[in-house]
Amino acid sequence: MSQPLNPMRGFIEIEVRDREGRVIQRGRHEMRSFTNNFLKILEAFFNAYGNYSLGYIATPASKATITAPDGTSKDAWTEAYSDTTYYYGGGVAMATRAGDNVDTYGIVVGSGTAPFNLNNFALATKIAHGTGAGQLDYDAMSLDDLGLDTSVSPPVYRIRLMRGFKNLTSSSITINEVGIIARNYWKSEKGALNDVTFLIARDVLPTSYTVPAGGSATVVVVIEVTMG
Amino acid sequence: MISAEVVVELDGREVYRGESKSFVRNFGRILYAILNGTGGVAIRYTGSVSSASVQKPDGYTATVHGEYYVTAAYSRASGGTAMGFKAGAGEDAWGILVGSGSDPVSPTQYNLSTKIPHGTDPGKLYYDVHSVSSSYSDTSSYVEIARSFINRSSSPVTVREVGLFARNRYQYDAGIEVDVIFMVARDVLPNPVTVNPLGSLLVRYRVVLTT
Repeated sequence: MSQPLNPMRGFIEIEVRDREGRVIQRGRHEMRSFTNNFLKILEAFFNAYGNYSLGYIATPASKATITAPDGTSKDAWTEAYSDTTYYYGGGVAMATRAGDNVDTYGIVVGSGTAPFNLNNFALATKIAHGTGAGQLDYDAMSLDDLGLDTSVSPPVYRIRLMRGFKNLTSSSITINEVGIIARNYWKSEKGALNDVTFLIARDVLPTSYTVPAGGSATVVVVIEVTMG
Repeated sequence: MISAEVVVELDGREVYRGESKSFVRNFGRILYAILNGTGGVAIRYTGSVSSASVQKPDGYTATVHGEYYVTAAYSRASGGTAMGFKAGAGEDAWGILVGSGSDPVSPTQYNLSTKIPHGTDPGKLYYDVHSVSSSYSDTSSYVEIARSFINRSSSPVTVREVGLFARNRYQYDAGIEVDVIFMVARDVLPNPVTVNPLGSLLVRYRVVLTT
């Protein structure tokens, strides 16, 4: 029997450099661990309609109940129409392009090694942004649409997410887990109507990566969607 | 690990179950546009934060948005969705669609080979509403979207292909700013399925997550 086709998979690439910028550790691992939160957002997209009459109001019109990183249940929206008083409504269901110094979404790293299960909603032990002991300085996320690659069989569509982490402390810091946290944000002129974050993928790395004092790590996640 | 499958039932009996092998390029593009959003924009921000170019069923390209805020002044009741699927009864432009063509699947396809339209005339099928179901656990979860098609004509209708179409739409009370339908997946059935008069077809797309 042939291997089941994996319509969406990913790879995690990590490169660690010392304070002089020399590469001291590098690895590539298959990413296997999308969470139930990810599937719930997909379900909420399946439930989105996209053809309401003008003037329709619903905050939200379609939603998923996800588990936020603090363990509480919250709603993430995939379709919404704001009220009649405030303007400029809209939003995003699953954003990952976090800015510099933001550790609440985008690629996040941790030191925990607890095994993965689909209900994971947070890293086991997230390494927070900062310059204090045990912290890493989080750079801004970057995303690249690498597009369709027909040179492989079956063809794949690749999306690359990347983030740098600097160790500005005086001690080494070890990375054992990598996650992707998404942000669900909807607003109108009234203000934020919904703003929640949720873990959509987590992988415990088969190898520990140690970032020395003054060093840095770059984490790249390449998501591959297999095409027909 | 993620897997996907297509299930086809004819008159309540399963006649096909197989891996869905055929996301197309449009899906990669909208997924990128959604992930590339930032969230947290200023409350008076308008326009697109993240977008992508897709190919519509007519072959023309169009811009879709993963994160978008309605631009019109006094845009009451404003908002939308990046990817809606749950078309209603009789709506045959998005959601799950079926066709009679059998051209092999290719990642750059943007439409079914030969769509079977909604209707009650010969060669048409009545497009019913969608249903969505799911199950979640620590080790195995799934989400599924399904749609029924009924042959209300007096002649058999043969189905050879199924597709999943999304609708990217943003609107306010006085107008529509974005409205683009695009195919995200297409599968060709290994054997044609003939729906006889008064017969029904059920097509299910299921996405499965396992540890």
